[in-house]
Formats: sequence, C-alpha cells, structure tokens
Amino acid sequence: MALLEVRELDKVFRRGARAVQAIDRFSLSVEEGEFVAIVGPSGCGKSTFLHILGGFEPHDGGTMLLNGAPVRGPGPDRGMLFQEFALYPWRSVIGNVAWGLEVQGKPKAERIAAAERYLKLVGLSAFRDAYPAELSGGMKQRVALARVLAFEPRILLMDEPFGALDAQTRELMQEELNAIWQETRNTVLFVTHDIDEAIYLADRVVVFTARPGRIKDEIRIGLERPRRADVRKSAEYMAYRNRVWDSLRAEVLKAREEFK
Amino acid sequence: MSAAAQRRAAPLSRARRTALGLVLPLAALIAWELSARIGEVPSYLVAPSAIFATTWEMLASGELWQHTRVSLLRALGGYAIGGACGIAMGLLAGIARPVERFYDPVVSLTYPVPKIVVLPILIAWLGAGDASKIAVITAAVFYPTFINSLYGAKGVNRLYVWSARNMGAGPLRVFAKVILPAALPQVLAGLRIGLALAFIVMVACEMQNSRSGLGHLIITAEDSLRFDLMYAAIVAIAIIGFAGDRLLLWLRRRALAGQAIGKEGAHG
Repeated sequence: MALLEVRELDKVFRRGARAVQAIDRFSLSVEEGEFVAIVGPSGCGKSTFLHILGGFEPHDGGTMLLNGAPVRGPGPDRGMLFQEFALYPWRSVIGNVAWGLEVQGKPKAERIAAAERYLKLVGLSAFRDAYPAELSGGMKQRVALARVLAFEPRILLMDEPFGALDAQTRELMQEELNAIWQETRNTVLFVTHDIDEAIYLADRVVVFTARPGRIKDEIRIGLERPRRADVRKSAEYMAYRNRVWDSLRAEVLKAREEFK
Repeated sequence: MSAAAQRRAAPLSRARRTALGLVLPLAALIAWELSARIGEVPSYLVAPSAIFATTWEMLASGELWQHTRVSLLRALGGYAIGGACGIAMGLLAGIARPVERFYDPVVSLTYPVPKIVVLPILIAWLGAGDASKIAVITAAVFYPTFINSLYGAKGVNRLYVWSARNMGAGPLRVFAKVILPAALPQVLAGLRIGLALAFIVMVACEMQNSRSGLGHLIITAEDSLRFDLMYAAIVAIAIIGFAGDRLLLWLRRRALAGQAIGKEGAHG
C-alpha cells in the first residue's frame, strides 16, 4: 500500500445559502520516497487540498490514510511548508529550527545538535544566531525547510514554498531543494502553479482541473536523477513542458472565464 | 529597514540624537529664565532657577520624596492590578470569541467614560484612603492594556499557530509559546499607554481628594500662591513619568529581541 492514500475527497465551501464545490471526488496515492507535484490554475483548490491534508481544514467526504492510519487534525507526521515561511520572529534561526523538537520533548543538547545538522544541510550554519528579520526571503524559506525536516515528518507538504521569492532566487531554491531531496529522499507533495518548477522537481506531476478541483491528468517525469540545472534546456524536458502546459492551458482559460 | 533608510539614519550618532532632542527644552528654559530675570513675566511663571532651588530644598528636607513615595505607591499599585487584569482578560478574549462577545458591550460602553468620575462613589465605598484611588487607577489602566492585548492576540498570524500545531503543540503550548510572544509588542504598547494614564489619573485623584501625594502638593501650592512649590511637584511628576516610560522601553528592547529589528527608528 502507498504511504499516502487519498480517496474520493470532497470539499464544499459554504457561505450562507451559497455552496461552492472546491474539491470534487479527488483521489491520489503517493509512494514512499516519491516527489509529487500538483499544478493547477489559481483558485482550483490545490492549496485547500494541502490544508485539508495538513489537518487545518475540515473536509466533507472521502478518506485520507497516511501509512494506513486515517488523518485527523494536524500532526508532526506531515510537515507543512508555507509560502509565507511562518518563522517566529522572536526566535533566532537555531531556535526556530529546534522548536519542533522542543515540542516533541527532546532534550536540549539533542535538539540543538539536530537543528545544527539541518541548518548545515540547507547551508545556513553561519546564520544560526541571526533573527528571521535579518534574512533574505530565500534564506528564510531555507530555515523553514530545515525546521520542517528537523522533526522528521513522514511526508512533506509544500504549499507554493517559493511563490513569494523573486525569479532568480526561486530557480536557485529549486536546485537546492533538488540537491537536498537527493540526500534525504523525503516523500513530498508539492503544490505550485509553476510548470517548470513542477517538472524539474517531481517524479510525477498531477494536473488539477479548474474549480471544482479534480484530477485532470497525471504525467510521470522520467528525467534522470540527480537532475542538474541544465536539464531544463534538454529536448526531453521541453517535451514534458509542452505536455503539461497543453493539459493545464484549457483549465487556466476555464478558471479565467469564471472570474469574469 | 531598507538599505537606503539605513544610510540616511546611520550618520546620526547616539550623542547627536540626544543633543538634537535637548535643543528645544533648553532653548525654552533659557528664554524663560531670561524673561523672568528681566521681569517681564507674571508671578505664576516663576524663574526656572527659583523652581530648581525650591525643588532642591524640598528634596533635602525629604518632603518632596514623601509625597512622591505616596503617589508612586498608588500609581504603581493600580498599574500592577489594572495591567495584570487587562493583559490576562485581553489575551483570553483575543483567542476565544465567546469571551470577546461577553466583554465587548461593557468595555465599549465604559471605555470613553473618564474614570475619575467614579472616585466619589468609590470613596463612599472604600473610604477616602489609598484604596479608592488605587481602584480608579486600576480601572484607567485596565482599558488600554485590555484592548491592546485583545487585538494583539487576535492579530497573531494564523500560520504561526498552524505551524505550531503542525509540530504537535497542544493549546497550552501554542498559547504560551506562540500567541504570547507574537502578541507581546502590542501588549507592551498597551502597557505604555497605561503607564501614562496611571500617572494622569493619580494626580487627578490626589487633586480632588487627598491629604498627601504630588497632586495634593500642587493643589495646596496653588491655593497658597506658592507657584515655585507647584512647579517642583510638576517637575517630580514629569521625572517619574519619564523614568517609568524609559524603563518600559528598555524592557521592551530586551523582550522583543528579534521583533524589534528594523523597527527601532523612533523609540524602539
């Protein structure tokens, strides 16, 4: 059985008498060690899906099994990474990274050692005593990544983690995440609207339809790993890009139609 | 702070900033002293040198300290009780909607009422001693700390709470380790406003009904046309108010190590 099994998930937003079906019978399974990217037009419910999976929002039907056990409420078996970093400004970098282990009741020496190990992994050992306000956006997201990795969740849920970064930083962060993944082999569910990001990072790209969100397409990305940055220039990559974009394009147009 | 702003702010050294702030009060003092010496001012504008002399005299005799001590005890007593209640209830109302709904009508209705108006009632109830004054000061301090703590807790970034719960933190830990530090800047802002109000209401209470304290000193000095004495009391109030405020700001800098970065401009 797969590590994550989502079956027939439904989500309806209700405001007064109005009801909007946000997610419609959505099913997905993710294998241990797999990197799955979800792309879709904005407003399609892909972030909502991640929030439901994180245990922060209720759903209206269907089942979610992580490692065979039903998902109920937030928990450290699923590590959330947010677009807005959500670092604690009153804690130093090392304090932020060690916080998850503090919650788990690990002794101080152990959590500092673990935090230092993960800070090294993301290349920020030199900034251990800095405060988040002193870091750039890319550095903040690296700290947030170290913080999530440090409490060793079974699966990482990344909600457009690089969406708030400028284009150059975003590309460098993608390469860095790729290298880190090569080392840690975490199971990852990665939500984005950026096709290039999805193809470059993932083993499998899932295309969401416009609202109500359901699976439109699944494309297995056969690009060899480890992936170097220049894989983005290869013909094979371009073929995947065209394939995903063709599938997504109709949905983006549909979503735009709805907002008119 | 942006790089450009930092460049603009950097050349002003600490000493220069302090010097710049002293220009206006010093100029006013000198002008005041000069006009008093030339004799062109009414009698209630006593020369600064005379005020200084009186202050010094009263300090030496211990009289000024006597009044200051009594006033401080009242102000700080009310400040401690009002601040503690305001913070505790405000934070609770900020995280629990029903609690907010419960307090909101009463707080909104009584907030604009000057707290000094209830002094006669409280005197009838608690007597004319310190208790009634401390009670009025408590009420005055409660409102700004309550309201600021309420909005501080309400305004905590939802993702701070989410990421803590994601790591498995329970409600108590979320409150102590996330809500409290995240709301702290605004809680401290409320405490700062409350401190000023505590001194204001303290003086008002003492001017209305008291046999001791700096407010009492002002009233008796005015009645006997001892304006030098009145100014000595005002100077004492200004000094303890200023010292209290600076102490709070210093504590704030300690407490908000990471959150004050880039916001240190004016007073942080």
